[in-house]
Amino acid sequence: MGVLQLSIPPDFPLPIPGNLTLLQFLIVLTFVLHIIFVNFTLSFATGAVILEASAMKTHSRRLDDMARICSLHASIHKSIAVVLGVAPLLIISVIYTQYFYTSTLLIGKAWLSLIILLITAFLLLYVYKFSWEKWENKKGLHFLVGFAAMLILLFVPLIFIVNVVSMLYPEKWSGANGFFHSLLHYPQIWQRYAHFILASLATGGFYMYLYFSVKQRKQTLSDVEQSLKLGGVKVAFWITLLQLVFGSLLLISFDRNIMLLFMGDDALLTALLLLSVFLTILLCALLYVVSKNDRPSMFYASLLCFVLIVGVMGWMRHEVRESYLKPYINEYPRTIEMKKENIKPVNKQ
Amino acid sequence: MNFPTVEFPWFGNGNIVAIIAIIHVLISHGVAIGATALVVSSEYYAIVTKNEKLDQLAKQLTKWILIITTTVGAMTGVGIWFSTTVIQPDSIGSLLRIFFWAWVAEWVVFVLEVVFLLIYYYTWETWKEGKAKRKHLNVGIMLAVFSWLTMSIITGILAAKLTPGRWVETLSFWNAFFNPTYLPSLGFRTFLSIMLAIALFTIFVRLFVKDEEVRMPLLRIFSIWGAISLPATVVLGIWYLQSIPDQAAKLIVWSTGLPEKTFDVLNMIAFALIIVFLFWLAIRPKKLPIFLSLAVFMSAIGFIGEFEVVRESIRKPYIIYNYMYVNGITAVKAEEMNRDGYLAHSTVAKIKKVTEKNKVEAGREIYQGQCLACHTIDGWRSKRALANRLKGWPQQSIESFIPTMHQVRPMMPPFVGTKEEVEALAAYLYKVANEEK
Ligand code: HEC
Ligand code: HEM
Repeated sequence: MGVLQLSIPPDFPLPIPGNLTLLQFLIVLTFVLHIIFVNFTLSFATGAVILEASAMKTHSRRLDDMARICSLHASIHKSIAVVLGVAPLLIISVIYTQYFYTSTLLIGKAWLSLIILLITAFLLLYVYKFSWEKWENKKGLHFLVGFAAMLILLFVPLIFIVNVVSMLYPEKWSGANGFFHSLLHYPQIWQRYAHFILASLATGGFYMYLYFSVKQRKQTLSDVEQSLKLGGVKVAFWITLLQLVFGSLLLISFDRNIMLLFMGDDALLTALLLLSVFLTILLCALLYVVSKNDRPSMFYASLLCFVLIVGVMGWMRHEVRESYLKPYINEYPRTIEMKKENIKPVNKQ
Repeated sequence: MNFPTVEFPWFGNGNIVAIIAIIHVLISHGVAIGATALVVSSEYYAIVTKNEKLDQLAKQLTKWILIITTTVGAMTGVGIWFSTTVIQPDSIGSLLRIFFWAWVAEWVVFVLEVVFLLIYYYTWETWKEGKAKRKHLNVGIMLAVFSWLTMSIITGILAAKLTPGRWVETLSFWNAFFNPTYLPSLGFRTFLSIMLAIALFTIFVRLFVKDEEVRMPLLRIFSIWGAISLPATVVLGIWYLQSIPDQAAKLIVWSTGLPEKTFDVLNMIAFALIIVFLFWLAIRPKKLPIFLSLAVFMSAIGFIGEFEVVRESIRKPYIIYNYMYVNGITAVKAEEMNRDGYLAHSTVAKIKKVTEKNKVEAGREIYQGQCLACHTIDGWRSKRALANRLKGWPQQSIESFIPTMHQVRPMMPPFVGTKEEVEALAAYLYKVANEEK
């Protein structure tokens, strides 16, 4: 590995199996679904570990119960996160083959290590959840199990981010040397990571608010559940405020010509960015109101606002990729039509 | 060689995919499909016979199905894909283009399968009586159906790699999907899954389920399923064998690496073992020997390993039969490469033209592009380690071997490239075979 020139391979002779616009719509849709469940998994695993640590420190039964509920949700959502990840993987492999395969192979061993890392993390999450009561007297060990799962889950996104970022920079491929080197070699990586981690925490908090609001309609919430709900709102509020800063950091880490697309050069992208900022501020306002005085009408307003934000984010993220790749795709076009003369069977001698 | 190569010099690139695939087949067939059918049958039987303890055992087993399939099962499934991307990007990339919509359907079914599994396990205690319990059982049945459906889709893709049938001429998706080995292999896998689940789970039931009120009915369910599945597996297996290409069928014994006699004896012993086991299970379940259950457990794992290795190996030299070789080269590419040179058409090759000075380095690149998929230089599998195989060969012999390698060893694809490239590869191989280590 190492010294490739501008090594974008020609596309396969087999054509892309469907309408490109449809596939692009589907990749945005399924990616958003995937990442939301990843957000849940990551924030509940982290939340459970932090809450359990504080419970141990303060000998608080309540915090421990809150942690346990988080761990239950983490292990359920991780199963869904994984299966939902398959759809964007399918589509990205098919419509960005030349870029995505190269970026994957450049970190081939790290990519394969995902299998072991995720199996380990998921098994640890099950141990963590199913041994909560049994290991009442082995709290230290129990905590360590959760902590280890959390560390793995915080590391894994870096592999994905390196992959999807490096596919945007073909002219940097020749200088890249494996996964760890790539972490510093490509721009954007840490800004994306920060943006993603914060988004996870906020999404997790928001989920707690939604989940227990729904539950509240059927039964009164226990004290613990009430704390989770309001705690969730607070986390979502503060982290989303912070996100205004980190989102901007991400924006300025883009190549200048791409950044400027969002700042007036392209009307659609500029409008999307403004809309997302506006929606974010609106969501913060709604969450603020909820934290002071919880009203049912806020539930739908904030849910709608949240869904719109995530949709706009997913769309913008796609446009970033398209903008970066546009010059290359013009030069190394995709195979759109079936040309039989390029797909001949092997003639046996 | 259009993508960067990743090399596992000791383990061997092909073996990485194989090991992940074997684990995945064990779990997807044995646990996700087979065990689910057994567990749902047990729940049904528990309802009919009002056996509360059996119901609880079914729940316990479901918990293990949940844990195993959503961790090792799911991740090795995705893992086969991850590893083929890293090791055979051209092949998996092409398959995705051909079968994209089948994979989309597979994904939808798979998502539903996971959702059913989560509902099935987590509502066990809440949907407990009367109508709710019926509903719960129905979710279980849907789960069993959907896990089978995922297999019925993926089998179309897998079978097409060996027998793409009319696809190579028509390039029609449906011809590729409903290919000549589709139905036999799907039928075979279906009943194999149930046999596998019985073989894998009996030992645990024997060891850990002490209460006879639960163990007896459960083993009874196993033996009924076994009585249906074993004959079905055998009959469908024979049909499957009959429908694969002759060239591939000839490679079966060879691909296990065993002498023919040993191969026959081992397979006969395993078969006899499973028959004795099933009769024992049906007739004297109370006295089922631990040793026998363990032997069946081990043979089942061995058989799946054999099945996977054979299935992957008999396809050689192709990865998609009659279309693409294991090293990603197709007929059209071979033509261009024989004309202009292999390296000239390899995006990531650093050397585009062989000269006297860069010969050995060029040879290394050609080796990585054309041979790495099946060979190592050194490595534990000595038959595939070229430094070992070529020890003592003069450079001249290597040079004359390469252009004929697909005739001498039909499981190898033909070499593609120019005469200078043959020389370069030979120079490189000669060097590594004669290096002092
Ligand atoms: C499709 C997989 C595959 C590919 C690709 C492949 N080989 Fe092989 N090769 C094999 C197998 C299988 C054997 C036989 C091993 C055995 O004896 O069991 C073999 C055997 C050999 C032998 C020993 C032959 C003998 O008669 O002792 C040599 C030499 C060899 N290969 C060289 C190469 C070279 C050079 C390339 C690349 C140009 C290559 N192979 C590509 C599968 C492959
Ligand atoms: C095996 C299961 C998984 C698969 C198949 C999968 C698939 C994918 C795919 C295809 C993308 C890129 C989508 C695109 O660029 O359009 C992606 C992005 C990502 N995934 Fe997953 N994923 C899986 C599990 C996870 C897990 C467990 C985590 C975190 C713990 C995770 C975190 C991420 C992150 C952070 C990104 C990139 C976000 C960004 O671009 O900023 N994924 N995943």
